[in-house]
Amino acid sequence: MGIVLQLLFSGLAIGSIYALVALGFVLIYRATNVVNFAQGDFAMLGAFAMVVTVVDLGLPYGLGIVIALLGMLVFGALFNLGVYYPLRNRSFLPVIISTIGASILLENGVLAAYGPHPKNLKGMFSIKGFDIGPVFLDSQYLLILAVTAVMVWLEYLFFERTLLGKKMQATSQDKEMASLLGIPIALMIMLTFVNSAMLGGLAGILVAPVIFVSVGMGSNIALKAFAASIIGGFGDVRGAIGGGFALGIVETFGAAYISVPYKDAFGFLVLFVFLLFRPQGIFGERIAEKA
Amino acid sequence: MRSSLVFLSLALIAGGLCGWTPALAAEPLKIGMVTSITGVGAESGLYQKQGAQLAVEAVNKAGGVLGRQVELVTEDDQTTNPGTVLAFSKLAGDRSIPAFIGEIRSTQLHAIEPDVRKLGKPVMIGGTDPVLTHMDEPWFFRFRPNDTYSARVIADYGVNVLGKKKWAIVHSTDAFGTNGMKNLVADLKARGIEPVLVQGYTNKSEDFTPVALAVKQSGADVMGTYFTYEADLGIFAKQLAQLGVRIAWVGSPSTVTVTAMNLAGEALYGTFAVTDFNRDSSAAAKSYAARYEAAYHVSPDIFSSWAYDAVTVLCLAINNAKSLEPEKIRQAILAVKGFPGAEGTYNFDKNGDGLHGYNIVRNRNGTIVFDKHIEFKD
Repeated sequence: MGIVLQLLFSGLAIGSIYALVALGFVLIYRATNVVNFAQGDFAMLGAFAMVVTVVDLGLPYGLGIVIALLGMLVFGALFNLGVYYPLRNRSFLPVIISTIGASILLENGVLAAYGPHPKNLKGMFSIKGFDIGPVFLDSQYLLILAVTAVMVWLEYLFFERTLLGKKMQATSQDKEMASLLGIPIALMIMLTFVNSAMLGGLAGILVAPVIFVSVGMGSNIALKAFAASIIGGFGDVRGAIGGGFALGIVETFGAAYISVPYKDAFGFLVLFVFLLFRPQGIFGERIAEKA
Repeated sequence: MRSSLVFLSLALIAGGLCGWTPALAAEPLKIGMVTSITGVGAESGLYQKQGAQLAVEAVNKAGGVLGRQVELVTEDDQTTNPGTVLAFSKLAGDRSIPAFIGEIRSTQLHAIEPDVRKLGKPVMIGGTDPVLTHMDEPWFFRFRPNDTYSARVIADYGVNVLGKKKWAIVHSTDAFGTNGMKNLVADLKARGIEPVLVQGYTNKSEDFTPVALAVKQSGADVMGTYFTYEADLGIFAKQLAQLGVRIAWVGSPSTVTVTAMNLAGEALYGTFAVTDFNRDSSAAAKSYAARYEAAYHVSPDIFSSWAYDAVTVLCLAINNAKSLEPEKIRQAILAVKGFPGAEGTYNFDKNGDGLHGYNIVRNRNGTIVFDKHIEFKD
């Protein structure tokens, strides 16, 4: 039983990271109908922002997080202006290619600035964790779970209980109608990119003490987050969260009880099964059933 | 008048050609190198380039090769197999390059082997998969001891020195890790020991909890490991420590690289490792370490030392051969005996293996302490 609980804890923690990145995918997709292939690099940038603030400048950890997230806020706005906005009236393909180009540029830019050495970023807490019975609760994993839960709740409150959130939802559902109702579409999309960049950056900040900060850290996470959002139901916020957790658990238990070398394959096997039998995902609606 | 003009023109042309000839002779001798400038191995690729460059500078200071200054021409392999193939193809397309420095990762070397065989020029390698020099490939020359030796040393040290009998083996599933595991399992079985756990993992994993739990549950009292990437090693070491697993650990050379120690910190304290490079193992290693630190302000490790030796021995061989013909260079490399390099003393055998022993070191609270060198005659 202890093993099962330990695996569940780890699976949920890793799944939380996938969920945060997947949420970023979904938010941008809903607003623009485009998959942002640089979403994983948002996580990488957030982690490197922490390296700048906490490691290089020696700032207190909490202040470093705030500055890093503010940096991601600005970055999200610039990303929208530079990568999406000039191509907003084109079809989806030029925008996708633009995000791929942005991803390559970001990774190589960070590589040129920081070099290839993986960086060690300490966790928020000095204590590594504690045991409850046979289960070791890693403090960073606990933080990941707690922050993810809070972020999901805050996102729910924002989108369901605030006027701005409802305007952003309206924009993602029907841009033309929203525009006719006087909603500034360009601003709503800008805010979506900002939100997505901060979520991605936060994921990177949380996972960096576990997997270390490196240029390629975001790409593997992004691939799995993308798979998670499809499993959950692409375009559905609940799907991003549920898919992320599900993928983390499937991977971890599959590795422990079936085969560690095939760990990555389990998630994609589940994805394959969903694409065959339920392509709309767990929470997604079939296209024919949409109003 | 006309004949004078013709004569004058011919004289001018001849004079021009005389002026050209010295410039051709002074053209640098290029050595191609495939290395990771980008990708997950970019840090080790940087160290490799630095080691090779240090050797080039030393060779050029001593007069160069065949009277020519050496120039290192590098191509980025992106730490991927397709990238390595592409990088090697680009270099191979330059016919003026007589020989190459390959990669340290065996999986990448396997990827280019067909092209190396087709090209028919010497390639110096750092990969330790024994198969690389035992697959009837005449153009690979290895500058690190292969994993038949590492496995023998790991097993010997764990069983005979540490006195442990219940073995867990954790290995990467790439060519290096898989062959290292096979050799270690075979050596342990030859000693009458059946491992209690043999656990593979895929490179670039974010979480090693299932692997750490498997080691904990196995009841092993000693662990032998073959990790390819230091980030994976760092995550595993930390999670193993968090789960309270404190058993003897004798690892492959990646366990004591600068990167691994920086990332894993105290999670690696007390571990043992086999390593080809250690600054205290010989006078040549000490000298190399001092020069590397003076040039780059960081301690050297296996990623730079083998490349340094590769360039040094290759240049020596070309000078000895007095030729750039591939077969003559090949014979000259195989003729190198008793050459003191940073990695060890080179005695090339017919397979192209230059080294036949390993050092055992211990991580004593973050400082790597040399224990002993074990050399094999075969």
